[in-house]
Amino acid sequence: MPATSTSAPTAHPASYPAPQPAEIVREFGPFPGAASVGGVSYDGSHVWAATGGLLLAIDPRSGEVTRTLHNAGHAGTAFDGKHLWQIVETRIEKLDAATGAVLASIPAPAKGGDSGLTWAEGSLWVGDHRGRKIHQIDPATGAIRRTIESNRFVTGVTWVDGEFWHGTWEAEESELRRIDPQNGDVLQRVQMPAGTNVSGLESDGGNLFYCGGGGTGKVRAVRRPKATA
Amino acid sequence: MDALIAASARALAVGDPLGALQRVALRDDPAALALRGIAMAQLGEHARARELLRRAARAFGAHEELGRARCVLAEAEVALAMRDLGGGTRGLVAAAATLERLGDPANAMQARLVAARQALLLGRLADAARTLHDVDAAGLPSALAAVADLARAELALRQLQSRVAAAALEKAARAASRAGIPALIAEVAEARSALTRTAARRLSRDGAEPLALPDVEAVLASGALVLDACRRGLAAGGAWVSLARRPILFSLASSLAQAWPEDVARDALIVSAFRTRHHDETHRARLRVEMGRLRALLQPMAAIESTPRGFVLRPRTANEVVVLAPPIEGEQAAVLALLSDGAAWSTSALALTLDASQRTVQRAIADLEADGQVHAIGQARARRWLARPLVDFTTVLLLPASLPGA
Repeated sequence: MPATSTSAPTAHPASYPAPQPAEIVREFGPFPGAASVGGVSYDGSHVWAATGGLLLAIDPRSGEVTRTLHNAGHAGTAFDGKHLWQIVETRIEKLDAATGAVLASIPAPAKGGDSGLTWAEGSLWVGDHRGRKIHQIDPATGAIRRTIESNRFVTGVTWVDGEFWHGTWEAEESELRRIDPQNGDVLQRVQMPAGTNVSGLESDGGNLFYCGGGGTGKVRAVRRPKATA
Repeated sequence: MDALIAASARALAVGDPLGALQRVALRDDPAALALRGIAMAQLGEHARARELLRRAARAFGAHEELGRARCVLAEAEVALAMRDLGGGTRGLVAAAATLERLGDPANAMQARLVAARQALLLGRLADAARTLHDVDAAGLPSALAAVADLARAELALRQLQSRVAAAALEKAARAASRAGIPALIAEVAEARSALTRTAARRLSRDGAEPLALPDVEAVLASGALVLDACRRGLAAGGAWVSLARRPILFSLASSLAQAWPEDVARDALIVSAFRTRHHDETHRARLRVEMGRLRALLQPMAAIESTPRGFVLRPRTANEVVVLAPPIEGEQAAVLALLSDGAAWSTSALALTLDASQRTVQRAIADLEADGQVHAIGQARARRWLARPLVDFTTVLLLPASLPGA
């Protein structure tokens, strides 16, 4: 049901739960020809990383790049079980995961200010970076179904086990935050070590998150903490 | 970093400023303003670039220190390219510290390099040396390492240390070719040729012998008493007495040095130093006074003795007197020779030193400025002139690869 919330999160930052330190399990990359990572996804067996001009499929067991698609990708990658979705400049492209062929293209809700993309339950969820928002959109048309407010820059979004998480990177500090998808309340915080930034976030459906490392060109696996609320 | 910022930064990094602009032309968020500013700088639109970078710096939130510091750095680079050197280096030094603290060492080094180059341009050699001392070339990308070595070479050239300069240029050449930037490679080649060009002439009874910079150094290191008409002073065994702002004393010293080991008649000294043919007893009295002043200044390196017909120079330890003249004759050469000390000279100081009219000096300066060999800082009475730097490398804007949120 389309509904847009335009009010800021009601909870005051002072009432947020205390952050837990992130446990970084593994690092992948940097990979040749891929200076920075702008989006990550997971297709059940491979981690995908959008690195500007290339989409890389990384085998999380070996850390090797097993496939490379020559597709532009600037900020945010998602997998819907069959296709890859990729933010390219001001649009979101639907790609054939086997060939990289562009099957469809819809306008991105923040008109190029977008960062972070995930798929869940028939919707795409898109981060609006400096707008500090997350839009739920119709993957067929790009129409906005709902908007959630955050109070930090959004650089990645993902759903896992009914939990909604977003990555933030602002003022050289990065966190993974579990928020209430209804009102944007912050429920849980995982703090990345100083200087470790998050550009792009995806769950593996289990107990790991994959995080893009921005200009470091790395992808990091971070352990998902147990739910506290 | 959002999608359009990423796409725009990528375009900048591969040398496509128009492509970069096109993606963020209508956006006024700070990251977009910064990218637009850098693209404008790469297109040579320096004034517009500066305005955009200032707006970007203001638009970054108080907590977005890194983005702000990068804008300060980019703006300083643009100012350097515009030769607008009035701003001072304090903001730049603070930005370098911020960049260092927030984990952007490459841009921190870049900020120090810009500060050092600004100091070199202003003739503040000690400041430049101090700042360059803090630049660690080992961890730098090749293009920056080349710029760092070029700056070191320029400092060494200004300090008449051609061996240090040659070694730095050697390293700069290797780094420039690793970086593969044609403009930088050309800069290094041009700077290297400065080492072999004629830097001065050695005057003797047999004529004038052209000397390159290493030859000049050899003369200065030889233990001879050197009258240096380029920098207007006397050197002996590492000691230096500047007569740059004492034209009459310089003229007297010059006559004595050129005549050495012979003496010079009083009348001849009066004619050349006071520029008069009709002299009388008052001129003789004045000559005695001036000679007394010169004698006091030269005391550690030479004595000036009276002879029956005039005066003679007697070096204390040196067994030879050498006279060095500017590489070419004429007012322009003399102005350039003086400016090559790296200091900022006013027109009136140049006129006083050269014992020429201000009008003559202004004409020479105008010609040199038209050739791009000198430039001015300051306005009106505060205006000062500086020689074109020995090496004049292009700005290497680093930011595209590491923009806010990259």
